[in-house]
Amino acid sequence: MKVAVLGCGGMGAIHASVYASLANAQLTAVCDANSQLADAMAAQTGAIPYYSFSDMLNNAEFDAISIALPTYLHKEYTLQAAKARKHIICEKPIALTLEDAQEMMAICEENGVRLFVGHVVRFFPDYNHLKQTLDSGKLGRPGVAHASRIGGHPGSWFADESLSGGVIVDLMIHDLDFLRSCFGEVESLYALSAAKEGLDYALVTLRFENGAIANVEANWGYPGPFHTKAEIAGSAGIIRANSLKSSSLQLVKQGTNSDTTGTVVIPGSPGYRSPYELQLEHFIRCIEDGSEALVTAEDAYKALELALYARESAVTGKAVYLKGGNAQ
Amino acid sequence: MSQLKVGMISFAHEHAFSYLDALLSIPEVTIVGIADPVPARVAEATGKHNIAYYNDYHVLLEQPMDAVVICSENALHAEITIAAASKGIHVLCEKPLGISIDEMNQMVEACERNKVQLMTAFPCRYLAAVVQAKQTVDRGEIGEIVAIKGTNRGTAPSGWFVDRSLSGGGALLDHTVHVMDLMRWFTGSEPAQVYAYASTLFNDQLKVDDAGMIHVKFENGTFGVVDTSWSRKPPFPTWGDVTMEIIGTKGVLSVDSLAQVNEVYSQQDGLGQWNYWGDNMDLHLIRSFVEAIRSGTPVPITGLDGLRSAAVALAGYQSIQEGQPVKLNA
Repeated sequence: MKVAVLGCGGMGAIHASVYASLANAQLTAVCDANSQLADAMAAQTGAIPYYSFSDMLNNAEFDAISIALPTYLHKEYTLQAAKARKHIICEKPIALTLEDAQEMMAICEENGVRLFVGHVVRFFPDYNHLKQTLDSGKLGRPGVAHASRIGGHPGSWFADESLSGGVIVDLMIHDLDFLRSCFGEVESLYALSAAKEGLDYALVTLRFENGAIANVEANWGYPGPFHTKAEIAGSAGIIRANSLKSSSLQLVKQGTNSDTTGTVVIPGSPGYRSPYELQLEHFIRCIEDGSEALVTAEDAYKALELALYARESAVTGKAVYLKGGNAQ
Repeated sequence: MSQLKVGMISFAHEHAFSYLDALLSIPEVTIVGIADPVPARVAEATGKHNIAYYNDYHVLLEQPMDAVVICSENALHAEITIAAASKGIHVLCEKPLGISIDEMNQMVEACERNKVQLMTAFPCRYLAAVVQAKQTVDRGEIGEIVAIKGTNRGTAPSGWFVDRSLSGGGALLDHTVHVMDLMRWFTGSEPAQVYAYASTLFNDQLKVDDAGMIHVKFENGTFGVVDTSWSRKPPFPTWGDVTMEIIGTKGVLSVDSLAQVNEVYSQQDGLGQWNYWGDNMDLHLIRSFVEAIRSGTPVPITGLDGLRSAAVALAGYQSIQEGQPVKLNA
């Protein structure tokens, strides 16, 4: 399948280099308004560089496109690509509002193209193992869970909540989606958050319809290495993951420091296949054979819904009940 | 004051054994007697250390003494504390201080009226990592505290602990108070608003909650959450934890206070275990109580401290009834 990548920043570079190496994909074009970024990506992957999306749409040959633009641009370019009958793999979060997400899903359906959203945590082997272990039943009934996603503040457009949605919508959404995949639908939630100079921090507790309780932590502003933690305690067992502890390779060099402020850190333990590779290969295969994706646009919509309710709770100071009512 | 005469009332809470060991290790302490309505609970301790035994704590309180350590069922803390105070005896009371705001107010008032000191047993303030963390925060090394994510997970107790009429509540009451006390101590601010979730999720047989997540907003704007769940059971390699991730404006301080363990893998135990080798917090708690009473200086953790942390847990239960956050009256 011929694919193109729109946006040659941090995530776009990952998409492009994965496509360049995937057996079921052929990267034909990369596009970025910043011509240096586009040229560099083209040089690295052998794809043709474009500096405007309309130019790429008119001249490049591709069936599917990765949209790796800042969140506030997702809808505009998804709509254009869908109308041009391109299947779309959009970075997370799907959009900044539920209305935008709905419109993106509707236009893709109208134009007969697939829409996937890069909730890549589903493809991380440690998280995959968490869910498999839960599903095996060996933890018993799920009781209390924790999930943390902690790193430096990425700065740039991420720092503007109106463009990125802030730490809950951009970062915590990974864990909101993952926990929903584990426990099902959320009954109610309560959120606490604080945004200060160089720090965006949130704690959100979800109560699921199955009774499980999960506290989710997201931190943009940690002056150390990016890391994730998760625990599920059930009636018959406990599983815990910690990316710092399970990191199988560490390099420490003189004259460097671990402060990651101002960079978007792409996490990963060494593995023969990266989670991004597994994810994009899966999405391409879904387009080819028409099968349901492991994580759907509907899932992405639901994750955004949780994130937006969490932001609402943090602002109002009230617990939010997703299906109305006021009783726990 | 040369020797401090100390009595112990009830070993219903097993922390009493650790407190007894601590008292025995302090040369300036004389143990005048142990009262417990259940002789079997204390027979070994009284026999081994040749300590006078009393079936009825009222009789013990008639003996000349300076202070008592109370480790009864939570529901009896108030009655025993007030009885001791009326005899002019200082009190160290196990946490939670009480099971209602009214009775805890009465405990505090009775001690004030009788000019005796009331200390709440929050040994976590004496964990070495916690002590250093407090100093680190006070030096301003992480700037201003923004938020604290805490856990005090544990293993489900049995007996009176899971009988609401004697314990006053389940995991939410049992395990909110330690970390809440630390949060109040670290932030220097009082809880203003509370919202909690609690359920019985780990053991259906229990009549009290064993899963809890309690959220607090402090008067100064900082906030925190504590996982209070009794979620640990074999084969998890240890009984529980006391942790805090303290998020500051200039850094993050991670306290995993019981992380000082060695991992033990023995065919004799059958399972891997984490064996704690850190300092004994109970010893330092007891020493600080004894020092304060002997020197006539204020106890470092007061009855009011105990009341305010327990009040958060009680407000947590109220928030569950109401389904929304509740405000606390400081």
